[in-house]
Amino acid sequence: MGRAEGGPVARSRQDAVLSAILTVVVAAMLFPLAWMVVGSVSPDWNAGWFNPLREGPVWSNYTDLFTRMPFGRHAANSFVVAIIVTVANVVLCFPVGYALARVHFPGRALLYWSAAAILMVPQYILIVPMFILIHQLGWYDSLWAIIVPFAVNPLGILLVRSAVTAVPREVEEAAVLDGAPPWRVVYQIVLPMCRPALAVLAVQVFWLTWNSFLFPFILTGDHARTLPVALAMFRGFQGVDRPHLFAAATLATLPVLVAFLILQRQIIAGLTAGAVKK
Amino acid sequence: MAPDGTPDLVDRRAGWLLSAPWCIVLGLFWLYPFGYALVLSFVDVDIFAGHWQFVGLDHFRAVLGNPEFWLAFWHTMVFTFGTVPVTTALSIVAALALNRRIRGRMLFRAGIFMPTLTATVVMALVFVHMYGQGGYLHRLAEMIGLPVPRQGFLLSDATALPAVMVMDIWISIGYFALLFLAGLQHIPGELYEDALLHGAGAWRRFWAITWPYLRPTLLYAIVINLIKSFQVFTEIFVMTQGGPLGSTTTAVYHVYQSGFERFNLGYASAAAFVLFVAIAIFSAIQFRLFSFGRGPED
Repeated sequence: MGRAEGGPVARSRQDAVLSAILTVVVAAMLFPLAWMVVGSVSPDWNAGWFNPLREGPVWSNYTDLFTRMPFGRHAANSFVVAIIVTVANVVLCFPVGYALARVHFPGRALLYWSAAAILMVPQYILIVPMFILIHQLGWYDSLWAIIVPFAVNPLGILLVRSAVTAVPREVEEAAVLDGAPPWRVVYQIVLPMCRPALAVLAVQVFWLTWNSFLFPFILTGDHARTLPVALAMFRGFQGVDRPHLFAAATLATLPVLVAFLILQRQIIAGLTAGAVKK
Repeated sequence: MAPDGTPDLVDRRAGWLLSAPWCIVLGLFWLYPFGYALVLSFVDVDIFAGHWQFVGLDHFRAVLGNPEFWLAFWHTMVFTFGTVPVTTALSIVAALALNRRIRGRMLFRAGIFMPTLTATVVMALVFVHMYGQGGYLHRLAEMIGLPVPRQGFLLSDATALPAVMVMDIWISIGYFALLFLAGLQHIPGELYEDALLHGAGAWRRFWAITWPYLRPTLLYAIVINLIKSFQVFTEIFVMTQGGPLGSTTTAVYHVYQSGFERFNLGYASAAAFVLFVAIAIFSAIQFRLFSFGRGPED
């Protein structure tokens, strides 16, 4: 698209109007987040209606989180879980995806369809039995409970499978003719060619895990609680005041924001993967 | 062996070995709980004492005969059919705007995407305070002269559900706009040049070129938004906990309350399966409605 009616003058005028509208819309979209950041450094008596430039930001709202609340532990849990789940998915989805794309073993079609079908199963059906299962395993309120079940994501398997399928077979055959053992061909030639798909997978899994609420909420207590669950508890049951709540929310948002600024392209590719037929 | 007769690089027997991680997760954390939920919905169980008793369809009868379930189901329908069309329409408009070559468009894209990137819990917390008495949105609505509940939007049973829906649309637009943008960027530019040469107006170009190309993305977007909306839980838990007076209790929240607050595991599982069937039917209808005719890429 990007072509308007009329000459360049009319077009640039249209674009100026569009830019103005977009500026207003984007400012409105970002307002809640900006307000959160301002609210996070306000004194608690008039949170939300104070001017940080005139009155000076209250940084102790942030330090209080670590000294007076177990925020540090929740943050550490979130980091550990998100990083391990992301690495596990990249490491474990690759061999599965490769096998589904290239190894003609009996039951291959069944496994492929299992991954596709699981994507359609709504999570809430599993909340009661998962709660029981995790208790049976003795994992309740441990990080295992929110790492192991999510270590292999069916979407990741499908992503890797289609990436491997796109690698020409001749590439593998040529390497084999050169005398390379099969395992080296897979890991030194096919794997690097799938790097974009693995990046997409990593970004998507990290984002989903970092923001995940339902299962961490069901499967953890005080000890293994992650940031989103802790934030919900701060509001619901622990009566934390608004400035501290917003400071915690701001810190919980920071990692994804920084990651987004660095990896914008991969993130957008990752979150829209599957939408457009290739 | 591949269909063309070339041998596999990796021995066939290794296929299961390579797939082992998925087999374990699939079996232990998907199939087993799924089967367990199915069993639970047909039995009365005391997990701690270990008593099991088969009760046939009793739980399903209880679910279908419970006005609370139907009210929760109704709230889910209101939520889904109130948000999905609005989110879809606004996202398409946003995508069309962001697809033009204007200065700073990467900045606009990043900005519109931020609410999606942020955790739902975080956005919900911020909106709780904006909707509350004296919050920005509450005061804004008052200033425009809208009839606003004095205690804030989330504490009135007339406005709580719509307020949650507005927030859901707000945080979803960025994601779906990027989906549609990805769809738009797959349209060959020459098509528009040809159309311009033949004197087609903007409206005609949209319906003749953009729309058919966008349809596969549209189907995908609507189906995943539908599935997501049917499952709405996080926003409800953070913002209203199903209240006031049950006015925001959605179906999944009802399942959660039955299982984890009232410890009625059989009822909760049966309710979850009734919902599952409902979602499957709606998804099937969606596919039928949107896949008639063929997209240009088929």
